Amino acid sequence: MSEIFVIVEHRLGDTRDITFEMLWKAGELAQKLSYTVTAIILGHDVKSLAENISDRADKIIIFDDERLKNFNADIHKEIIYTLIQESKPALTLIGNTSWGMELAPCLSVKTDLPLATDCIDITPKDNTFIAQRQMFNGKIFSNISFAKSEGCLLTIRAGVFPKDKIGDRKAQIIQQDFPVTDIPVKKSFIEFVETAAGDVDITQAELLISVGRGIGEEENISLIKELAEALGGVVSCSRPIVDKNWLPKYLQVGTSGKSVSPKVYIAVGISGAFQHMAGTSGAGVIIAVNKDPKAPIFRTADYGIVDDLFKIVPVLKDKILEVKKG
Amino acid sequence: MDFELSKEQKDIVKAAKEFAEGEFPDRAEEFDRDESFDEAIYKKAADLGFVGTFIKEEYEGPGMGMLEYCLIFEEFAVVDPGIAVAILISSYGAEIIQAFGSEEQKKKYLPPLVKGEAVMGAAFTEPDAGSDLAGATLTTAVREGDEYIINGSKMFITNGDRADYLICFVQTDPDNPNRHARHSMIMVETDREGFEANHLTGKLGIRASDTAELSFNNVRVPASNLVGELGNGFMEAMHLFNLDRIIVAAQAVGTARAALEESIKHVKKRTSFNAPLSSFQSIQFKIADMFSWIQAGRNLVYEAAWRVDLGAIDHKLIAAAKSFCGQMAVKCTDMALQMHGGYGYLAEYKVQRLFRDAKITEIYEGTTEIEKIIMAKNLLG
Amino acid sequence: MDIVVCVKRVPLTEEVDLVIDEQKKGIKKDQLAFVLNDWDNYAIEEAIILKEKHGGEVVAITVGSEDDEEVLRRSLAMGADRAIRVDAGDIRRFDSFGISKILARVVKDLPYDLVFTGVLADDDNGGMVGIMMAEELKLNHACMVTAIEIEDGKARTTSELEGGLGEASLVELPALITIQTGINEPRYVSILGIRKAAKKELKIINLADLGLSDEKLSPKTIVEEVYLPPETEGAQMLTGDPDTIASDFIEILTKKGVME
Repeated sequence: MSEIFVIVEHRLGDTRDITFEMLWKAGELAQKLSYTVTAIILGHDVKSLAENISDRADKIIIFDDERLKNFNADIHKEIIYTLIQESKPALTLIGNTSWGMELAPCLSVKTDLPLATDCIDITPKDNTFIAQRQMFNGKIFSNISFAKSEGCLLTIRAGVFPKDKIGDRKAQIIQQDFPVTDIPVKKSFIEFVETAAGDVDITQAELLISVGRGIGEEENISLIKELAEALGGVVSCSRPIVDKNWLPKYLQVGTSGKSVSPKVYIAVGISGAFQHMAGTSGAGVIIAVNKDPKAPIFRTADYGIVDDLFKIVPVLKDKILEVKKG
Repeated sequence: MDFELSKEQKDIVKAAKEFAEGEFPDRAEEFDRDESFDEAIYKKAADLGFVGTFIKEEYEGPGMGMLEYCLIFEEFAVVDPGIAVAILISSYGAEIIQAFGSEEQKKKYLPPLVKGEAVMGAAFTEPDAGSDLAGATLTTAVREGDEYIINGSKMFITNGDRADYLICFVQTDPDNPNRHARHSMIMVETDREGFEANHLTGKLGIRASDTAELSFNNVRVPASNLVGELGNGFMEAMHLFNLDRIIVAAQAVGTARAALEESIKHVKKRTSFNAPLSSFQSIQFKIADMFSWIQAGRNLVYEAAWRVDLGAIDHKLIAAAKSFCGQMAVKCTDMALQMHGGYGYLAEYKVQRLFRDAKITEIYEGTTEIEKIIMAKNLLG
Repeated sequence: MDIVVCVKRVPLTEEVDLVIDEQKKGIKKDQLAFVLNDWDNYAIEEAIILKEKHGGEVVAITVGSEDDEEVLRRSLAMGADRAIRVDAGDIRRFDSFGISKILARVVKDLPYDLVFTGVLADDDNGGMVGIMMAEELKLNHACMVTAIEIEDGKARTTSELEGGLGEASLVELPALITIQTGINEPRYVSILGIRKAAKKELKIINLADLGLSDEKLSPKTIVEEVYLPPETEGAQMLTGDPDTIASDFIEILTKKGVME
């Protein structure tokens, strides 16, 4: 019987959501194909992590070692490589996260197995799989097949599968050892750094007015600030605005920024790349203003306004001030 | 025959486009509204080598050709014609120094222009002398010992207020029977006593560019400020105009291209009678016409510039480029505004600015009518 | 500090309606404008900054056609010292695995302390070539890097993690680093830079020169089909004149309790 490997991602003692999402997909495929699900945990003091997912996998393999306390792609690669050599899983799922994006490509070369990254779906087909992914920032979808091989690696985009339990499993937990000391380590962890500390906490805001690349120029951001002020909301932004140093990192919404959960999220001039939208999944209502009717944001927003933000934002502001006055 | 730009020329186009798109849109509306300019943008452009590209390597320029100058001008003008002029015309008149100046003058005046350390201008027009340059220019320069004493006034002078030095078209031999031998070009540093510049406001377009009226009240400059030979002013002026008419034509092409780009965006987005504007033939014809005229205009510019770079100044071709492109830009911006309807009439839309910016290309550096006279003279004898 | 930077030319697709090609394997590119991949632009800039600080040489490499040389010339104009283009014919027959093998083969013979790639390319969004190369070359690596400091033969890097968290690491050189956007502010290309670039070396090599053949580079992943995003219900559009839109907008805010 074939196996599906899920590489458990955890940080600072917490299992990351992507792990549950991968386990859901693995579980679904396993049901369909009569495969088993094997979760692999590398870390130190990770027993509780295994308990968290014991009803979501058939087997959990734990490597517990002081030297696995912090993520290191090379050590992970060596250990998982050995496991893959032993078990030849049909599929190995890795999160398409910062760590996964470092682990998967080197593992692919090491194992000589094909890799499809940032997959948003996996479908079984004729004893192999078709991976669905996106190109051109979500403007194009593609279906990827794999050359004949003894399995394949996929990295999975965060947030596309449910975090729920699927099916009924009871994991056999296996503690394994690995001669970690034999692996030469030429990269060492120093510390985690908070890159997004600041005096405004956008995760607590009830109303966010978020600004993206469509704002064009730094000085136009005042337009958004004025709107936010009129509304009594908080300004946030997408990544390009931070890259350009127009707003501080702690105001950034998205995968590499903050996840927010306002009652209303107003996205102005944001095209809606998935990295950004991933941070808005907790929002009650999303209202998007964008001049491009084909902007991906209109696929996820609840309300859309197709117009030049420079036209519409001042009108909104005036109207709001008018209503508030009374 | 080869219609491809060289790799280097393509790279120049990309560099100019990236710079303009990165720096201009932020400020274009403000400069237009306030009739102002920020010298920091010009400095940045100069640091990157966009100013005085025609200045030779001996004088610390890149020594590029007319065609490269046109390519840069077109790309800048697409983003904003006013800022394009304010930046690129900062070395206006240096063409005369380079062609006719003494070695000493070249070494003194050219390198600071390339480095963005000095702005230059050239003063021809007077309150009562526009197209009739040779006949009506009255500002005088009288030799006294080792100096010239200049008196008179100039009108509509680009960079008049911001320039560090202006090369001035002045009468030095008013009684010469040959009207084309009565004038000379003399360099006037703008900190000379008796020189005054008054920045003019209320221009229709290219409002980021400085235009001034000048007055010369016994302004004394050393005789060594004479550029070229005494009495050769008209020839020198024509040399500059021949080159700069091509540049203005490139400016017109850029302005028209911007009008087309804005129009395409607008008609694809805006709907009328439940269909995008772009689905109506009346709109499609306008877009098609604009495209063909711009392409035709650009080919005229490129050929005129290319011939200059080969060493052949073709007056007729240059005049054709200038007159065709100026009219074409006015027509294209008019059509663009029409397609934008009420939106186009509003100040915050770029087409309105383009509509106003276009007109100057029919006026300065030789009006459309003057250009036609030049062509007619060539064709009819 | 010798640095090799791998760069790619990609189409600009923002605000452009993309059209699928006849074979449904890619998009039509003849009407698209091309640029240096945004991430690679940051990578080149970072290499030049380090070179200006520590000395050494920056070499830019791409795999592609003559048209793709444009991004090498750009890299040279920004300040890279020399460039290499691998002419491999139609590169659509390779996947990231193949491309990384080709690049690794080129890099192997160059002097280097660091190899940079962008985190992602703006076209296929694969994000794997860099780290695959590192594995081919048995190099240390750091991924999604937003800051680099060189200290006694080591690179102190900050990798971007999720949720506004960064991870500081010390990486022994030589190493491969994938560069994230925002790490610096890439410079404009200058006219002088373009002039200088024309005098710098741009070497063209082919697969045979590298001792590589298609056999060794055969793809492990195959694009079966590309297609436009499936229709979804999408947002409810607020339409009408700006005044009507503003009224509807306020109504939504009021309903959601964020406006008194």
